[in-house]
Amino acid sequence: MSETTSNGNEYGFLIDASRCIDCRACLVACSVENEVPMETTRIWIQETGVQGEFPNLARFSAPYHCMHCDDPSCVSACTVGALQKGDDGIVTYDQDRCIGCRYCMYACPFQVPNYEWKEQLPLIVKCDMCVSRLSDGHSIPACAATCPTDAIIFGKKSDMLAEAHRRIDQNPGKFMNHVYGETENGGTATFYISPVPFAELGFPAADEASPAYFNRLVTHGTPTVAGAVAVGLSSVYLTIKHHAEATAQGVGAAHGQNQAGPNEAEGAVVGTAVPQNPDLPQAAQGQEA
Amino acid sequence: MLKKIIDEVKSLSIGYYILAVIAAAGLSVAGYRLYAGLGTTTNLSKAFPWGVWISFDLSTVAFSGGAFTLAALVYVFHLHELHSAVRPTVLVGLIGYASVLLILFMDLGRWDRFYHFLIYPNLNSALFEVSWCIMLYSTILIYELSPVLLKNSRWSGAIKIIEKWTIPMVIAGVTLSTLHQSSLGTLFIVMSPRLHALWHSMLLPVFFLISSLAAGLAMVIAGAILSYWIFKRTLAENVQAELAWFIPWILSIYLVLKVGELEITDELHLLFSSGKYSTLYLTELALLVVPLILFAIKRVRHSRGWSLTGAAFVLAGVVLNRFNASWFAIKPVAGEMYSPSWMEVAILIGVLATAVLAYSLIAHYFPLFEETVPVERPPKRQPSLAQTGD
Repeated sequence: MSETTSNGNEYGFLIDASRCIDCRACLVACSVENEVPMETTRIWIQETGVQGEFPNLARFSAPYHCMHCDDPSCVSACTVGALQKGDDGIVTYDQDRCIGCRYCMYACPFQVPNYEWKEQLPLIVKCDMCVSRLSDGHSIPACAATCPTDAIIFGKKSDMLAEAHRRIDQNPGKFMNHVYGETENGGTATFYISPVPFAELGFPAADEASPAYFNRLVTHGTPTVAGAVAVGLSSVYLTIKHHAEATAQGVGAAHGQNQAGPNEAEGAVVGTAVPQNPDLPQAAQGQEA
Repeated sequence: MLKKIIDEVKSLSIGYYILAVIAAAGLSVAGYRLYAGLGTTTNLSKAFPWGVWISFDLSTVAFSGGAFTLAALVYVFHLHELHSAVRPTVLVGLIGYASVLLILFMDLGRWDRFYHFLIYPNLNSALFEVSWCIMLYSTILIYELSPVLLKNSRWSGAIKIIEKWTIPMVIAGVTLSTLHQSSLGTLFIVMSPRLHALWHSMLLPVFFLISSLAAGLAMVIAGAILSYWIFKRTLAENVQAELAWFIPWILSIYLVLKVGELEITDELHLLFSSGKYSTLYLTELALLVVPLILFAIKRVRHSRGWSLTGAAFVLAGVVLNRFNASWFAIKPVAGEMYSPSWMEVAILIGVLATAVLAYSLIAHYFPLFEETVPVERPPKRQPSLAQTGD
């Protein structure tokens, strides 16, 4: 169902909710690296709130940012193609193209894209895996580089997924048997493992098929529909016109009148229509005649 | 020349002045919005990045559907007896689309780059397709209206050339309308995680297209009856009745498809189990069932009062549908809801006043109603003695 197929070179994240201590160093690192204010960072914390009865209390959290879907809805939706999915698996945002229609914000099943609401001319805020760092030779994104507990690790997407399953398999009972992001929205490049159900962390329950696929089913049909409608309308027009001409000529021959020729068929049709409309004002009849 | 214009402005009735004041106030707020940005002027948020403006755009495009519906009936299907309704309807369409473009411009965070949709295409995007179709179709509406605007001018000679190309332009216009009326529904297909299942459907483009036919015709009928009172010109009764005749057919197809789709996708039970959403959906259906029954009755189609009632129901039903799909039936995130700020509403009212003002002025100065029927005055204005003398 996905338009993109894996080439083995995609980057990915593995985020382990059992390791996150909610220190928010990743938010600060993101804010500094990408020069965005703290209230519109590209990364934030999802958390369960305090669970259980005293003294057995627990609270889990996990950093949350763009999932970098295999078949991203935002890329499908973006009016001007400012959002693109690269061969490296990164969903990038071209801030020089964006017109601020905010369709991507509604299209994203994970409610990831944020907006600079306070700006006069705002832009979308969204994780791009610190793509400039990657190309500058820094090996990993700022959030993963900063995380003191290695709750966020970064690498080849296939390695991240393998590591997620390895941790679940080797620590029986520690994690839910679910790698969030493996099938969500048709598969993503960000994988989560967690000791508690993802719903408790406030993660959305995304379908296994990306809505982008269903969107393309319709939008790819557009040229066909356009052609069919134009051809259909033209044939209806010509068929009825031909019929009207034939009738008009038939009548003309029968009455020996000087009927309108073929290239004035429209006039002929209107002419026959006028007597049916005795209440038309003179102006209209004069104009049509 | 200047004195002539001043005299002319002075001669306009008080209604024009009231509209102009409202329009000016609303458009000043619009100016402030462009200066200050979206965050300070609207209640839009991360959870609800679209608001009442988008709902207004969707409704207005549906209302403007009369222009392409009527053009198809008159020119393509050769129902020339309906021709008298074309001009006022094309003007309603043009002004409707102009309002939509104005509000869309307000809605763009980067309004300074509005032209980017022309140079950076994304062929997968429904919004890209809608933008192009609306732009091209507005041009065609100007073309279709140009004979009215040129008639009494020194360029009236161009009308002959313009009218020669009417048929190809009409066919292009109807095609473009089919595309963007339906694509406005496509817009919400990718939003399946947010839009309630009662509204989300792979048939959304079909639903939007069919309901725009009904809304467009209802708008023609309502417009004709309103201009009976305001401009003292209206459509011949048989023209109005013939237009109304189509409405029950369109609504029947629409309602059967809508409810049938729920049955096929096994979502029919949601009709009664979704609380607030069930109420909204059932209200929408009820608002369209009433005019379906009304317009199926011949006496209703020939009565001005009843036809206006029926048309009002159709318009209300379609407006509610568009507001549901783009606002009321969008599931909140973490309980966060949206209601518009006063500035969002003020800008809408300003644009609406501008639209009504533009329509009235064009109706006042150009031969818009040339083919329509003048309203017969009640006897008191006629010299009664002379009449009885006949």
